[in-house]
Amino acid sequence: MKLIARILLIIILSYLLSLYFPWWILMVVAFVVGFSIPGNGINLFIAGFLGGGLLWMSYAWYIDIKTESILSNKIVALFPFNDSIFLLILTGIIGALAGALGIISGGSFRQLFMKKKQKSFYS
Amino acid sequence: MKTFRFVFFVALTLAFGIILNTKIGRTPPLGKFLNPFSGFWTNAEEPGVNYSEKLKIEGLDEEVTVYYDELRIPHIYAQNELDLHLVQGYLTARDRLWQMDFFSRIVLGKLSEVLDNPGVLDFDKLNRRIGLKRMTHEFYEQTKEAPELHAIIQAYSDGVNAYIDQMSAADYPLEFKLLNYQPEKWSPLKTCLAYAMLSNTLSRGESDLENTNALKLFGRELFNILYPEQIGNIDPVIRKTRNWNFAPVPVDKPDVSFPLLETSETIDKPHPLNGSNNFAVSGQKTKSGNVLLANEPDLELTLPSIWYASHLNDTEKNVMGVTVPGTPIVLIGFNDSISWGVTNSPRDQVDWYAIEFRDESREEYLYNNQWFKTEKVIEEFELADGSTAYDTIIYTHHGPVVYDRNFRTENKRRNFAMKWIAHFPSTTFDAMYDVNRAQNYNQFVSAMKKFQGPPQNFIFGSAQGDIALWLPGKFPVKWKEQGKFLMDGAKISHEWKDYIPFEHYMYDVNPEQNYLTSANQHPVDTLYPYYVYDHNYEYYRGRRINDRLRVLTEILPKDMMRLQNDNYNYMASESLPMMLDNLDTSTFTSGEWNYYQTLKEWDYFNAPNLKAPSNYQLWWDLLYESTWDEFDTVSIAINKPHRFVTIDQFKSDSTFIFSDILQTPTGESTRDLMNITFKQAVDSLDNWIAENGEDYNWSKFKNTTVRHLLRLDPFSKSQVPVGGYSGIVNAASKGHGPSWRMVVELNPEGTKAWGVYPGSQTGNPGSPLYAHMIDNWATGNYYELVFGSDISTSNKLIFTQTIEAK
Repeated sequence: MKLIARILLIIILSYLLSLYFPWWILMVVAFVVGFSIPGNGINLFIAGFLGGGLLWMSYAWYIDIKTESILSNKIVALFPFNDSIFLLILTGIIGALAGALGIISGGSFRQLFMKKKQKSFYS
Repeated sequence: MKTFRFVFFVALTLAFGIILNTKIGRTPPLGKFLNPFSGFWTNAEEPGVNYSEKLKIEGLDEEVTVYYDELRIPHIYAQNELDLHLVQGYLTARDRLWQMDFFSRIVLGKLSEVLDNPGVLDFDKLNRRIGLKRMTHEFYEQTKEAPELHAIIQAYSDGVNAYIDQMSAADYPLEFKLLNYQPEKWSPLKTCLAYAMLSNTLSRGESDLENTNALKLFGRELFNILYPEQIGNIDPVIRKTRNWNFAPVPVDKPDVSFPLLETSETIDKPHPLNGSNNFAVSGQKTKSGNVLLANEPDLELTLPSIWYASHLNDTEKNVMGVTVPGTPIVLIGFNDSISWGVTNSPRDQVDWYAIEFRDESREEYLYNNQWFKTEKVIEEFELADGSTAYDTIIYTHHGPVVYDRNFRTENKRRNFAMKWIAHFPSTTFDAMYDVNRAQNYNQFVSAMKKFQGPPQNFIFGSAQGDIALWLPGKFPVKWKEQGKFLMDGAKISHEWKDYIPFEHYMYDVNPEQNYLTSANQHPVDTLYPYYVYDHNYEYYRGRRINDRLRVLTEILPKDMMRLQNDNYNYMASESLPMMLDNLDTSTFTSGEWNYYQTLKEWDYFNAPNLKAPSNYQLWWDLLYESTWDEFDTVSIAINKPHRFVTIDQFKSDSTFIFSDILQTPTGESTRDLMNITFKQAVDSLDNWIAENGEDYNWSKFKNTTVRHLLRLDPFSKSQVPVGGYSGIVNAASKGHGPSWRMVVELNPEGTKAWGVYPGSQTGNPGSPLYAHMIDNWATGNYYELVFGSDISTSNKLIFTQTIEAK
């Protein structure tokens, strides 16, 4: 449940704020989400990776379909790939890594303020 | 441990962010460039019309209506002139902002701020040394003398800035994102960029230093044979039967010699293939009885195109045509009553003076036996990598010392100052502003008085039935060969004293032949009472146009279009028979026979689907190279003789000394040269086929390419299926060609016009319309242009936009 909440928060907040801020706002959003909703490293990583990656890739994909790949077919020729699908994947990976790095940093920041909990006998 | 982990992740995140926000080499910052919210993705456009129906622009006085036709030409209808040009600036910026920024950087010598390719700083230095920046500043100051013009320059600039101000980072044109920089504020100064840009393209051509080298190397007799001023059967712009019944301003050739100083490397010159055609026919020669006019400037083929089409309407004027993006005035076009077009009129506008400085400080130079003070200007260049470069430019009263110890010459004694007509204050925009509004021939002539260059052949036609050809500019009165060679900057006698008065300018109006034409050829024969010189006149296109118009009658607009797209290769018709006659056919292989037969059967038309033009051009290029191979071994800068002169030499002198091929021990005759190069051509074609395939049809072989200004292949269009070549009326060579074809019928009931250019109104490579007119341009199809004082009911409009004050 927390995973889905994290992913949705990253997607919605980044989408809205990206209209006003540069691309790295995704990392800031992920950082804040990682700070606000506690969780272990793996969970955070997955949420950031999926949230950032899905948002960037699906939005780029949406534009690409709407515009009939008019520009991605030209831009891809400037890159060392030959199919514009790779541009979508690369866009997704960058979004994913930005989300993942942001959220993990946020999580590790939260850890600084956490008292070391006594290991509960029952847990 | 927790602290360490935190620091580690934050550092990693920051590093990731910074690296993907930084341009590395030519790679744009990937995070910034690929993100779907403000990266390149947002520059992709959906098919269909996506303008907003209502717009608000700050500074507007009254409501403005803009109609769009299928070509996306804006037809701007305003209630007053300032609103008109404000909206024009806004819309031009919307379609071409990056190109405008790029042009302004060329003119102001600031390209190295955003491009770190090698050679760009040198390019900027050259442009500042030859004075493009300085003359743009002076040109702008000069516009203050013409309040109406000055006001529209300001309004246009305000419009561009209104567009820039409302943009978000996502809206930046694609090239800004690729090169990773932001649009700068526009200014009235930048709105004057077209003057320096066009002067640089059109009137800076010269070969004074190359001539000086050649004169020293070859001696006078051979020099005159290799570089004749007039030769053969020229067909000048002004017909030979024209009388000149005036007494010219007197000028005497002084008894001094030219300083024969050698130069090893000269500055880059405008491309020799920049040229144009224009022609007009009077009602006696047309089917409708109305004047027809045609013009096409042949320039470098680029994307975005050099031209942006607009229709400008207010209570004072109703004018349509093409502008240079960044400039409010229509340069080639028509209004309700007149139409005009231009071709370059080469008239040596640049002279070089050798300067002698008193000492190393270069604070004084010798002139008329006295020491005069120089002016030093330190130019700064903020480079893309953040560092600053400097260049000191020394000015004399002649002009800037372009060649000196810091530029193009190691030799401290070589200091050459440039004197260029374009450096003088100019009212050229003022003239064009008047032409835009002229209603008849007399108003047009009044405007010509203010046109101070770059010198043009202005073709004119009116609904009243007049046709005319005017050759305005600013021309010093020169003694014979003044400025053809490097001159002595210390001598008064080497300076210009007077200018040709306007009353003595060349023109022709309503001639008996009922047509007028120009195509960059000699403006006039030797009977004109002033000395006229240029190093690069055109010999073929003008003769073909005149040959056709002489015989055509009952001319229709489509005949004018056909003539603009005429592929007749005059040069081939005058050289190929002689080349073929010289071949020894007895030893031909079958491959050589085929090659020969293809040429033998050719009718000299460079149609895109023929093989013969490829055969001819390949052979000719080899023949030309082998003929002048001696020139490649010379360490100083000299020009190879014109191809027209080369053919003339072949015909008149079968043993002339340059026939020899240097790499062979024997001395070749012209005949040997043709046989040898023919066999080389056959081999070379075989190699081409092995590499590129069997199809060597002319357009395939020629490969006309319309290139993006940044020379990026995906944004360029190669293999355009167009015929013609340089020297042909359809002047589409590999990278140059007709940049705007226009045909106008001056119908008193309403001007009709057709046009096409190899590009698109939008400069955005992400638009489905990008470069969309190229196919029709290549096949010689035209679009009928929507024009009139009220076009609101035209069925060719696709969208109407209302613009209000903010």
